[in-house]
Amino acid sequence: MRKSVAALAFLIVFAFLLLGMSQLRPFGEPENTEMDDYFLYDQEEGSQAHNQVNNIVTAILFDYRGLDTLGEATVLFSAVSGVVTVLRKVKKSGKEVQG
Amino acid sequence: MNWKMSRVVRTIADIMVVPIIIFGIYLIIHGHLSPGGGFQGGAVIASSTALLIIAYGSFGKHKDSLSSLESTGLTLFILIAFLGLGYTVFYNFLASGGAVFGGTVPYGINPGRLDSGGTVPLMNIMVGLEVTAALSLILWMMAKGSDSMDVEEASV
Amino acid sequence: MPIYEIIIVLTLVGLVMTALAVVWFKDLISAAIALGASSLLLSLQFYLLRAPDVAIAEAAVGAALTTAIFIFAIRATDRQEGFS
Repeated sequence: MRKSVAALAFLIVFAFLLLGMSQLRPFGEPENTEMDDYFLYDQEEGSQAHNQVNNIVTAILFDYRGLDTLGEATVLFSAVSGVVTVLRKVKKSGKEVQG
Repeated sequence: MNWKMSRVVRTIADIMVVPIIIFGIYLIIHGHLSPGGGFQGGAVIASSTALLIIAYGSFGKHKDSLSSLESTGLTLFILIAFLGLGYTVFYNFLASGGAVFGGTVPYGINPGRLDSGGTVPLMNIMVGLEVTAALSLILWMMAKGSDSMDVEEASV
Repeated sequence: MPIYEIIIVLTLVGLVMTALAVVWFKDLISAAIALGASSLLLSLQFYLLRAPDVAIAEAAVGAALTTAIFIFAIRATDRQEGFS
């Protein structure tokens, strides 16, 4: 019973994946290119003209979308805070000790 | 428990740690010219920490220094972001200014120069510091919490 | 068929096989190593699709750090899968 349900779910997901794959555009030809032209070729606000940065991925990550990178760094900081809090040294009686 | 590995593994780890760290520093400081950046370089440097902990089974008592390095990196990142507040947050006020990282690059396809980019290389360095310290601290805490590392006073 | 597409198809087949191996192994350290191999093949796939940034991040985080953290966690708990 469980295996037949699992096989049915697998077949449905596989059919949806095949349906989505048949609608894909060819590799390297996106649908809209206005933002690409803005970042690549704009003479005033583009990556090379405004930021003097050749690597456009880094220019987008650290300048145009800098707030997203700040959020990512904050997420990493929260993860480290959680690990240090969970794995801190605790005595058998439940009291915390330093270190 | 003593998880120290054999002499062959430790010798190979000694040889391989230096190129891994140099490659990570290259990824960080060339982040505005070639693929890579702060996160990738920091992760590569933190993998050298994993190599040392697994090979030696012991590591120095670095929890406080790693924690303060992480906080320093995040604070300097936010400070650089707010320094451009005369225009907007995250404004690139150093680009083509002639000061530090203030060079200009020509338009079109070119190999680029290291002295360009404004605040982008500085933010790469700060994020690299933060990610290195954060991932190393996670590895340190996991190894210490699973009793697979001896904490020594002196660094390795 | 050009050599580029042959490499892509071989990488995808290896990706599926390593992902199945992660599920099939009962020894958890073997499963962690298979997960590292799967991450390495995924990073090669990212590189073939012209995303070298993501490829470097995946290779460093997925193949090195995640495997190390899983092995530390398995040392602290049981090595075999299942309840005991």
